[in-house]
Parts: sequence; structure tokens; C-alpha cells
Amino acid sequence: MKYKITNFFLALFSYTWLIVASFVVLVPVVWMISAAFTRGNLLTSVPLIPDPSKWSLSNFEFIFSYRSNPASQMADFPGAFLRTLQIALLNTVGVTLFSVITGFAFARLRFKGKKFMLLTMMVLQMFPSFMGMVALFLLFRTFGILNKPNYLALIYIAGSIPYNTFLVRGFMRNIPKSLDESAAIDGASPLQTLRLILFPLIIPIIGFLAVGAFMGPWLDFILQARFLQPENITVSVWLFRTTDPFNTLFYNPLRFMAGALLIAVPIMVLQFFMQKYLVYGLTSGAEKG
Amino acid sequence: MDKKPRFDQKLLAIFTKPFRVVKEVLADIKKHPDALKSALLSVFIMGAGQFRNKQKSKGSIFLGLFLLVVLVEVLTGGYIYALDEIARFPADPGGTVHFIRDYGGFFSYGLWGLFTLGQVVGQTLYRGQFVETFNKNIPWLTADNSVTLLGRGLIVFVIALVLLGFYIYNIVDAYQTRKQINAGAEVETGIKYFKRLWNDMFPYIILIPSLVMIMFFTLVPFLFSFLLAFTNYTYRLQIPNVLIRWVGFDTFKLIVGDAGWLNMFLGVLSWTFIYAIMSSFTVYILGLFQAIIIESKFVKVKKLWRTILIVPWAIPAMISLMVFKNVFDTNGLANQLLYATDMMRPVSTFLYNIGLQGRIDNPIFWLTANYNGNLAKFVVLIVNLWLGSPYFMMLITGVLTTLPKDLYEAAAIDGATRFQQFKSITMPLILRATLPAIVMTFTFNFNNFGAIFFLTGGGPAFAREAIPQSMRIMGGVPGQTDILISWIYNLSFASNAQLYNIASVYSILIFLFIGSISVFNLARSKNLWEED
Repeated sequence: MKYKITNFFLALFSYTWLIVASFVVLVPVVWMISAAFTRGNLLTSVPLIPDPSKWSLSNFEFIFSYRSNPASQMADFPGAFLRTLQIALLNTVGVTLFSVITGFAFARLRFKGKKFMLLTMMVLQMFPSFMGMVALFLLFRTFGILNKPNYLALIYIAGSIPYNTFLVRGFMRNIPKSLDESAAIDGASPLQTLRLILFPLIIPIIGFLAVGAFMGPWLDFILQARFLQPENITVSVWLFRTTDPFNTLFYNPLRFMAGALLIAVPIMVLQFFMQKYLVYGLTSGAEKG
Repeated sequence: MDKKPRFDQKLLAIFTKPFRVVKEVLADIKKHPDALKSALLSVFIMGAGQFRNKQKSKGSIFLGLFLLVVLVEVLTGGYIYALDEIARFPADPGGTVHFIRDYGGFFSYGLWGLFTLGQVVGQTLYRGQFVETFNKNIPWLTADNSVTLLGRGLIVFVIALVLLGFYIYNIVDAYQTRKQINAGAEVETGIKYFKRLWNDMFPYIILIPSLVMIMFFTLVPFLFSFLLAFTNYTYRLQIPNVLIRWVGFDTFKLIVGDAGWLNMFLGVLSWTFIYAIMSSFTVYILGLFQAIIIESKFVKVKKLWRTILIVPWAIPAMISLMVFKNVFDTNGLANQLLYATDMMRPVSTFLYNIGLQGRIDNPIFWLTANYNGNLAKFVVLIVNLWLGSPYFMMLITGVLTTLPKDLYEAAAIDGATRFQQFKSITMPLILRATLPAIVMTFTFNFNNFGAIFFLTGGGPAFAREAIPQSMRIMGGVPGQTDILISWIYNLSFASNAQLYNIASVYSILIFLFIGSISVFNLARSKNLWEED
């Protein structure tokens, strides 16, 4: 009897907690959605209880119809979107290619200085990445590729190689070496082994890397804000400037919510879709053994 | 327990290795004077020793590389004009002609720039001529730009290091091959050599693209900002009319010696630690708590609750943070909710009474009022909790589902209560499985630029009287919620700061701290050291 009462209260407590927690989680999200569909530019005009019957598409209409002009000092959203998409695609291709090759070399080949290189790579990526920005800025200026969005992919790719190498290496080491050895006996070169034997087996980690590399540029701000002129900005800079009260010309929190929604929804779908891989990738690389 | 040598022993062995090697090499040279001759030939001209060893193809590779380097140096320099021009434009009285500066090629000029950071500034006379910012006809009348020289010099330095590697390899190879020939071994033919070279070099060849990219976009920038810490580079220097100077540890002395800077730094540092520890801790506790609740036998439709509660994880953090910036805007959701529920007055009073608010406001200035520093910090932690707990909830849920059931059955038979089971079985297992993730979260949060920058932008600002005099002059004042990394960003890029040298010093500190945690963590893990 006593046991039953304890159980009842534990269940009551659990459900109360879950309901309150769900509210805390969902209220800001619902508010964001509701704000995206509210006309005007004042946060105060967003109703606390969303009323879909009064929703307006004005923010989305503006986002899609507005075109930047030389005097406007700020790029339009579709342009920013396309530029970011280009960077993201380049990044996806580059990251998967380089990470797989590098990871393969460190997992399967023997050469001098391997440990030294691994340790150096690990140490290098500990440095706050934007501290190299003054130097990168000069480098880009010297080569005349400043203000050209696509070249930013170079920095992203180079920056992601060290960590991804560890991921791919960790993944490949779980594949029995006897596979390579039998391929080598049959006369396969190392590259053939990678292409024909290992590649089909490492598809999951490649998928994980590709999704990560694709999402990265949408959510990086500093490089894009520093290296690109206002007419060439990307989505994240667009979002930041529309929600920056000091940027009086473009500040419009409701328009920001609409833009943020357009970016957040596809990424959320990707995240939920890739949930298994993502958790796998997060845990597998760092803590083997 | 562990048969392998300990990490510190390995480290000691690595450091003493050079001495042992030198000793062995010297002993070896004494025994093979003929091989030394080949090596010496290669010292003066790359490849010459290989030709003496009758390895023509290998020798030509080295010779070709050697000639290429010489050619690049000569063609990119102004050596052919040097004699004529020095006669026409002699050094100023009391001054000198900076020969490498004026006529040096790619390599010598680059290294000169790295070591001197420039010698001639704009708007002055040099060799009787007027120095401009840019003179396209006479290169040496272009003023030295220290920053460019530093960057360029670094790239040359790294390339030169690689070449030095080849040079040393060329000498060692000449020596070793001769030794083998004298011992009666066959000389390797060209084709055989190339085949072996391809096989030996294969790992390096496929690594070259990655290594070059890492060199240009990670290593060189890293060294660059490291070196900036030892210069006096700030925006106040009117480059190229002024040169940057190597100042040794002066910047380090400034940030420690100046009471204002030291106090600000200690303030920011302690908040950085509080933030990193508190945010990791709260996120873990909440994640654990929710995982246990969802996995408990009282809760039905677990999947629904789990899906709702991981929503914050799925939304990109940058976007959530910017949304929360609006939620805690003066007109934002937080204040609107308080008004709608008639709670503004009591909540504001409560926040004042527990010391988070500096005065009783209506509405509450969550992130902007300079007397609300504590409130802004509190909001930063709460928002981080919202963002971060789902990750740990998922992680711990995963661990909970893999816990061995028989342990609990055995414990129940032995009469352990549910709480005892939790304390002695569940908790230790969860902790062991999630410890690496906790360390990672801590280091991540220590450098969590976005969590501060997108939410508060470092604000609220300090009240004017709290800002030390030296900072009012130099700029670079942090905000009250700035952690080190976001302060460094402002020091580097805010229009009234750009104190690159100070920013570099702080990032070296961060690097040393975070780097040592991570290296320590990795060095202990089998993953890195295990050879297969």
C-alpha cells in the first residue's frame, strides 16, 4: 500500500516535470514561429497566444521579393542563400575527399612521423580558429580572393581536416585489416583498396562528415562577416544584421524570425534524420579505449 | 597493470633522442671517411654526392630542385640591377644600403622581412629618394609594410623548412648509399629507385594536399598570431609610415603589470571558468535528471517526450541564441510573459532581492543595463541550459538502455534499495561512459564564443567608473558577460580596439590551457598511441 502511494507521487512528479519542461522547450519555439508570421517590425506586436487566423506572410514576401541595390548596403536574402549554398556544397565535397584520404593514410599506411603529425594536428585545432584571422585576411588579400565567398570553403576544409581525420581513422580501425591484406595479395594498390574495399564500408562516416560539412557554413559567422563586403554576405551574416539593434537600417526582429525559420527548419529535418549517425559520430571519435 | 611505458617516460625518451642520435652519427662518420666525401659533395651542391655514387637519376632530382631554388631566388630578386643602382643611388650619409631589402629574392627577402619586420618607412628619404606607400618602378622605394613582411616571411620560413628537410635528406642519402656501395651492395638503378620512391613516399604523396592546406590555412595563421604577441602591433600604428617592432615580452608585462588590465583580465578569466564549469555542470545534471525521468517505469509514450525535449538540440545553436536575444529583449517574450501574468513587479523585486538586478525595474533590462551584469550572466547560463541539456539527455538515455539488467537483479536479491542501486550501479556506469563528453563539453564551453556573442554580444557594458584609466585610453574594454574568447574577438576586431598584440597574448594563454587539457586527455587514450 505504501509502495503504491510512493509510485503514484513519483509518477505525478515525473509527468508534471515533463509537462513543464515541454512548455519551457516549446514556448520560445512557438513564439519564434508566431513572430515570423506577424506583420510589422515590433516584438511587442507578437501575440503571446499564437493566432494562426491572423498570420501574415509579409515577412516572407519581403525576404523573397526584396532585391539589393548598390545604395542598400546589404545583400538580399536569396542571394545570400545561394552564396551560402555554394560554399556549403564546395565544403561538402572538399571535406569528405580530404578527410577520407587523410584518415585512410593515418589508419592504414605506415610512414615516418605519423604520431608526430597526429599530435600536431590535434594541438593545432585547439587554437581558437579566428585568432588566425588577421593572417588569413592578409593571405586572402595577397592572393586577391578577399570578398569571394567560395574561397572561404578552403578555410573550412583545412580547419576540419584534423578532427575528421581522427573520426575516419577511428572508424576505419574497426574494419578488419585482413580485408586490405587479402586485397594486397591479389595485387590491389593502396588506392584501389581504399576505393573498392574500404569505401563501401565507410559510407556511414562519410555521410556523417558530409552532413556536418554541409551544415557548417550556414552556421558560421565570424569568417563570413569579416571577409565579405555587405553586398556579398551570407545567410548567417544576414540573420545577425537583421537582429542587431545598432544596425538601424536593417534591424527588424520579425523579419529575422522569418529568415531564421527558413534556415532552421531544413537543418532541423536533417538533424532528426541523421540523429543516429550524429550521436554515433560525436561519441566514436574521441573516446575509443 | 599497464605494461607499456608511462607517458612521461615516453616524453623523456623523445627529448633525449637527439643527443643519442648525434653521438651515434659521429661514431659512424669516423669509420667511413669515403662516405663522408660523398656527403660533403652534397652539402655544397645538392645531388653532387649522388652523382659520385653513380646514381644519376636520383642526383638529377636533387640537382634540379637545387637549381630551381637558386633560379627562383635570382629571378625574383633584383640582383642584376644591384651594382648599377648602388653606384647611382649611394647610401645616405650616416645610413646604409639595405642590400637584401632592396635586391633580395623570394627566400632572402622573405627571411629578412621576418627577422627585421622592415627597415624603411614611408614619407622619408632613403638613398636620396622619396619613399612612397607604393612605387611600381623601383621596388625599394616602396615603404616596408611590417604586417605583410611578417606574413610573407612566415610562408617563406615554412617553405624553407621543407626545403631544408630535402637538403638534409640529400646529404644523409649520399652518405648512406656510399656506405652501402663500399660494403659491396649493388647500386640501385633509376627505375628501381623510382619504384621504391613511389612506394615509400606514397603516404606522403596522398597527404600532401591536406598538409599544404593545413600549412597555409592553419599553421601559418597560427604562427602568425603567435608571433604577433611579441610585437607592438595595434591599429594605432600608421602602417606603412611606421614599422612594427619585435618587443619581446613587453605585451605580457603590460597585461600583468598594469593594475587595470590585470584586474579586468582576472575578472574575465574567473567568469570564463565559472561559465565553463557551471554551464557544463548544470547541463549534465538536467540532462541526467530528464533521462532518468523519461526512462523510469512511470512514464508512458517515452518516444513523444524524448522528441519534444530534444527539439533544442535540433535547432542550430546560432539561431536559438539569436532568438533568445530577442526573447530577453526589453520588448521580448520574457517581459511580455511577466506582464501578461501580472508577475512583473514581484519578479523584478525578487531578482533585486537576490542580487541579480541592480535596481527594481519595470520592465526588466535583462541583457542591457550596466547594473544588471549578474542578471545577464544568469540568463547566459539559463539559455545554455536550454540549448545543452538535450545532448546529455540523449547521451545518458543511450547509456541507460545498455545497462546490464542482471546487475540490478543481483543487487535486488542482496536487498539493495532502489536508491542504493542507483547510487552504486547506475551512477558510476553513467559517469564512466560520459566522462569524456563532460571534458569535451567543458573545453567547448571554455571557448564557446557563440553562446556569448550571439546572445549578449558581451554586454552589458561596465559602468564608466568601473573601467580602469589605461583601458579608457587604449580601448578594448570587455563587457560584463564577455568570456576570454569573446573578449579576444573584440580586442582584435572592434573598431576602437584592434589591439592585436594583446589579443594574441590572451589566445596563447587559452591555447596553453585548453591545449594541455586536450593533449593530456588524448595522450592517455589508447587511440592515439596504439600502433597497429
